[in-house]
Amino acid sequence: MDLTALPLAEVTDEGVKGAGKAIALGVGAGLGSIGAGIGVGFIFGKEIESVARQPEMKSDLESIRWLGFALTEAVAFYTFIFGLIAFFLS
Amino acid sequence: MESATVTAPGGAPKRDGMSTKAKVFIGLGIYLAVAILLLLIFGNAGKNEEFKPQNEFKLEPWVSIHLAGIDLSINKAVLYLVLASLATIGTMVWIARRMQQKPNSRVQTAVEVAYDLTKNTITGGSLSGELARKWFPFIGALFFWIWFSNMLGFLPLPTNTEHHFTLFGLEIPSFAIYAATANIAIPLVLTLVVWLSYHVEGIRAKGFVPYFKSWLPPGLEEMSPVGKGAIFIIEVISHFVRLISLSVRLFANILAGHLLLLFMGGGLAVLLGIAALGALTFPLAFAFFIFEVGLVATLQAFIFSTLSAIYIGGATSATH
Repeated sequence: MDLTALPLAEVTDEGVKGAGKAIALGVGAGLGSIGAGIGVGFIFGKEIESVARQPEMKSDLESIRWLGFALTEAVAFYTFIFGLIAFFLS
Repeated sequence: MESATVTAPGGAPKRDGMSTKAKVFIGLGIYLAVAILLLLIFGNAGKNEEFKPQNEFKLEPWVSIHLAGIDLSINKAVLYLVLASLATIGTMVWIARRMQQKPNSRVQTAVEVAYDLTKNTITGGSLSGELARKWFPFIGALFFWIWFSNMLGFLPLPTNTEHHFTLFGLEIPSFAIYAATANIAIPLVLTLVVWLSYHVEGIRAKGFVPYFKSWLPPGLEEMSPVGKGAIFIIEVISHFVRLISLSVRLFANILAGHLLLLFMGGGLAVLLGIAALGALTFPLAFAFFIFEVGLVATLQAFIFSTLSAIYIGGATSATH
């Protein structure tokens, strides 16, 4: 079979580089968000569980909940920022 | 399903008798149809090579100062630093002068709530007694400064000197959003101050060698020196990682928020040359703006000061 007859796009170094950057941003930020999403869901779920068990602990748990939320949510932003740095600044 | 018999919470029957689900779907359908219509009208202008989103965060020197090979130029970040400091000092002094036994203004009530948060929740949660009294001014100032800096970051100010527009014959720099905390240098300096002060406070409380010994977690008394050394190295690494995690968390959150606003509020449409995309992403920009202003700005100030208090408390407490 003659492969040269196939309508393949011309492969250039620039094109491959750009595709790599786009994949880095998409996969990196996407996978990072999955992790942070699971983590944030876990924190709020556990907090609801704890409050349901011991409603008198509600005020004590509040600050711990936000601490955990912010620590976990930051992971999504790390991946997003480093993906964008890879895309625009390299 | 129950479309004909649905009643509003007030008890009055709905006029159109449509379920919420149907309304949501129709709304989404109209939203998509408008976007597709715009795409058909305006088409695809092709990728825009001139627009460089990273230039929004470039620091152009306004007043060039170079001392002994160090670049001390005054730029956008310096302006935001000064503005955040002035806002912090100004608000606090203004409120303190007008303090009354019975809060007579909403601003005083709001500041009292914030003061209570920094004093009892953030500082009181990790430090106690003399230490809390000693470190509360620092931790409270950290909270208020970061909060004002983050909030200033969501006010559009005429600071983009790359582009101009003309108003009554005056050339005014374009409005742009930026924050002092969206630049890695400033969170890093704050982190370095926290990092050095908790080590100094720990050495002061326990003495030089006992402080470093206290890095080892309890329960290792029977371990061989080699194992203890390995764990000590891990602890040293964890202390250095705090430098990165504390600063990058604040910086990445604020920068990511600004980038999302930039891209959703039109940057993506301009970059790709598809005007219709702007109609789709603009409502998302609103949502992100509310998320950033309502939650992230305050939460990041809270987290930074809470972790500072936890680090100082951890360095001085008797058990690791």
